[in-house]
Amino acid sequence: MISLIFFLSVGMVLFSSLFVLARRHARPEGSSTALVEARQALKTLQAGLLPQDLVNRVFAEQDWNYVRSETPRSVHALFIDERKAIVLLWLAQVGKQIRSLQRFHRGAARHYAQLNPRVEVELALSFAALTSACKALQILVYVAGPFVAPRMVAVVANAAARACKISEQSLGFLDAVRLSGLRGQSRDAATL
Amino acid sequence: MRVTRRIDVAQAASDLRSRTLAEIPRSLDRLIYLASMRDYNTGLYYHDGLASRFTQEVACEALADCHREAFGQLVACSLRELVNQMEGYIESTHTSPRDFVAAWKKLEPYRVAVPVETDPLTAQLLFSSFKIALAILEARLPSPPLPPVA
Repeated sequence: MISLIFFLSVGMVLFSSLFVLARRHARPEGSSTALVEARQALKTLQAGLLPQDLVNRVFAEQDWNYVRSETPRSVHALFIDERKAIVLLWLAQVGKQIRSLQRFHRGAARHYAQLNPRVEVELALSFAALTSACKALQILVYVAGPFVAPRMVAVVANAAARACKISEQSLGFLDAVRLSGLRGQSRDAATL
Repeated sequence: MRVTRRIDVAQAASDLRSRTLAEIPRSLDRLIYLASMRDYNTGLYYHDGLASRFTQEVACEALADCHREAFGQLVACSLRELVNQMEGYIESTHTSPRDFVAAWKKLEPYRVAVPVETDPLTAQLLFSSFKIALAILEARLPSPPLPPVA
């Protein structure tokens, strides 16, 4: 009886591992979908989250100074709550898109030998630093309010923009690889 | 063909700016006006005058361009500017400020004035600023007269 339970448990563990592995490979790394997702993440970061004007607006201390000096106390709490929610949303979005790019580069590094290892290591370190910085900022903002660390915000936004630029160059190279692959396929089809 | 169409759209947008939008000085008013040109069911913009000078498609794209522009200008405004623009807008509608604030707080009409494909964070930032601006305007309203004692 004990051995039956033991073997059943081992079987269940093996089955669960198989299930997890099967799910992990459901979307092949280096696939077109992964490339499209990475491009989308890059676009969201560069056009939607990191433009200097937007960052300045989200973290505008002049709004807080205006509210503090010219409005009654009842508005102060509302302003801080509202702006805190926006800042946390911004940080969450930046972190999410950075993680998406990080996943893509991790997969691409395994598939394409032509990628520059030095650049990929640099990117991996930047992504790791950025995700940690986003998490730290989220905690700081949650505890101490939206205007707690303006310098750190500027550092994070600049570092993210730099990482995006490097990633963009890398994705450009992958586009060229894919395009030549497609041309090769169409040439083969024409020959057939 | 595509380049020609783009040039037409630019010309139509410029025409719209010089004829119609020049008469509307505040970006808040422009945003509301341009949003009202959009059919809620299809998301397409209609402007008969512009469509007669160009084509319906070109007019639609020009209106969408100007709508995005007005939205961008409003997002770039500081909170103080937004409050000033709302005060000006209330005055232009000839509604009582109390009724206006109550209706906007309840209905949140600014949510449907956002152009299509706007980044969610930017839209959220503007909604949040509207909410704060309404609270500021509400706080500035004179307290209502007390009901007569029976």
